[in-house]
Amino acid sequence: MTERETERELTALQAALAAEHAAVYGYGVVGGRVPKGRRTEAKAAYDAHRARRDALVREVRDLDGTPVSAAAAYALPFPVPDSDSAARLAAWLEDRVAGVYSDLVRAATGERRGTAAGALREAAVRAVRWRGESVAFPGLAERAQAATASVSATPTA
Amino acid sequence: MPYPPPPSTPSGPRRRVLLVSAAGAALSAGCSAGSDGSGESAGGSPSLAARARVRAARDSRGLTERYDAVLGAYPALADRLGPLRAAVAWHTEAFGGTAQGASGKASEASASPAPSASPSPAVPETERDALAELAATERSLADRRAKALLDVPGELARLLASVAAAGAAHAYLLTEGTK
Repeated sequence: MTERETERELTALQAALAAEHAAVYGYGVVGGRVPKGRRTEAKAAYDAHRARRDALVREVRDLDGTPVSAAAAYALPFPVPDSDSAARLAAWLEDRVAGVYSDLVRAATGERRGTAAGALREAAVRAVRWRGESVAFPGLAERAQAATASVSATPTA
Repeated sequence: MPYPPPPSTPSGPRRRVLLVSAAGAALSAGCSAGSDGSGESAGGSPSLAARARVRAARDSRGLTERYDAVLGAYPALADRLGPLRAAVAWHTEAFGGTAQGASGKASEASASPAPSASPSPAVPETERDALAELAATERSLADRRAKALLDVPGELARLLASVAAAGAAHAYLLTEGTK
């Protein structure tokens, strides 16, 4: 692997790690708002993102990088006062995670690429569970349909 | 701190586009190190990528034909299957194939030496079985693509990974509610 390829892969790993940090935080919010019947699902997703986050920390270290850390707090992309918006937030988190993993698939090779593709697949399935419908190209923002881009994200901080 | 990696623009879609173009810029710089600078040179020969694309297009088109067969037998499933079938048609096009069987066959036939000439196999006798069969087909194709993407250049691998993820999501939607 050339130095440039390694650098690209490291950048993509760090972006994935940042998104997983955000997802872990976000699912903390989701878990508190979803109805009781969906709490197990939210907890499972939370655990899955934590596991991916921890694995990414190791991957970054393996490439002699310093893993990006989580922010102390994150501004939510939209207000999340109830269970409907909590489900939308969960879907939004999965979309973001899918996006960084598709980039990691491109930047990585071999086992790391395969792992990223698996993570993308899991995120896409979870997004569908929360949203109730699928998108044609999970993780590919440039191919997103207008309908799926309607959730606007406005940082509040 | 803003929610995702620090954005400088307020709107979600635009921010995502910016992130992607930043990544894209880094990539194209990397790709030019390859032999032909086409962006398909990072992880394999162009012919390997071309063959993988043809195969992926053919697989997706075969899948739309399965959807069509099921829809032909169970028109009541149109609302449920329509969006999934449409997505699979987009996948076919994204791989460079033509989505419609009869009208667009010529261009793809020239690229693919093994035409799927067989008429649609029989559709299962119940709606439920038909959905289960579609789900299994989606899932096994997604599994195959998860392996195929390991051997192709980065950009195509990314597309394959996304389409495989969509297939897995379809499988979920096809089985959900029928259990």
